[in-house]
Amino acid sequence: MAKPIPKIGSRKNGRIGSRKHARKIPKGVIHVQASFNNTIVTVTDVRGRVISWSSAGTCGFKGTRRGTPFAAQTAAGNVIRTVANQGMQRAEVMIKGPGLGRDAVLRAIRRSGILLNFIRDVTPMPHNGCRSPKKRRV
Amino acid sequence: MASLSTFSNFLTFLFPPKSQPPPPPPPLPPLPPPPNLTIRKPLHHVTPLDHFDQDPPYSCSSSPSSLSSVVCPSLAQTNTMWFKSTYNVEVAVEENEPEERLLNRFRREVMKAGVIQECRRRRYHEDTQEKRKRKSREAAKRNRRRRPQSKSLAENKQAIKETKKKDDDDDDNWDLPEDNAYIDHF
Repeated sequence: MAKPIPKIGSRKNGRIGSRKHARKIPKGVIHVQASFNNTIVTVTDVRGRVISWSSAGTCGFKGTRRGTPFAAQTAAGNVIRTVANQGMQRAEVMIKGPGLGRDAVLRAIRRSGILLNFIRDVTPMPHNGCRSPKKRRV
Repeated sequence: MASLSTFSNFLTFLFPPKSQPPPPPPPLPPLPPPPNLTIRKPLHHVTPLDHFDQDPPYSCSSSPSSLSSVVCPSLAQTNTMWFKSTYNVEVAVEENEPEERLLNRFRREVMKAGVIQECRRRRYHEDTQEKRKRKSREAAKRNRRRRPQSKSLAENKQAIKETKKKDDDDDDNWDLPEDNAYIDHF
């Protein structure tokens, strides 16, 4: 990256303000990381440079409510509102991780009126790599 | 087939474009074809189209789709990012597809690929005992679906159960009590 990304914590709603004013990007990629406890939605351009992001946590949900599909929906809605103002029409969706946010975000994107090219699942799969953490005894 | 696609994606990853030029000038001079030209052959036809989008000629976009479909039909639907193109499941969205149908299609593809199952399995470490149990369960499920013999076995079991039940019923005494006993009460 050319310039360092400013720290997120200082901004409300996780909006990263870019120094030069918003570039008009008609086409982008929506990355969704849906874990069991949270959902993070990031919009980048085709090359991968982040335009804006939001997550269930930054939308005001806390604790167990972050992992719910409704929280994922609001996070997605948040991001798309920001990005639609910059004139994005077509998008690709890349979904990562198991979690309830997967379907909810797709629904929200569909309803928002952004045209989709592809929906991809990019969950990282090790070819039997690192050892996972031990079993929980709850 | 999934492995083939990941393999081809891996190949494109292996031959990355040589050098990234700094922001290319808007009228693109004819760039030397990138070394992965051997894999994606007619790519150099696509470069004159790329100055319609403001992307460098590394992502073959489908927005001038009519033209690119004429140039190379197989590339019309592709929108590969040269940097990261490995994925487990890909679903191409058609025009005006209803939301539910799209979701169902995506979910079905994901289930076929077994992504969520794999994730859950790899979440915590499973020891050899757990692994053996899981494998036997999976094998049982797979064989149960394929072998019709197991179905007839189940039928036999049911038949045996029914006959047993009949024996019990036959042993009971279904006769009504004699009239003498009846009258005495009144």
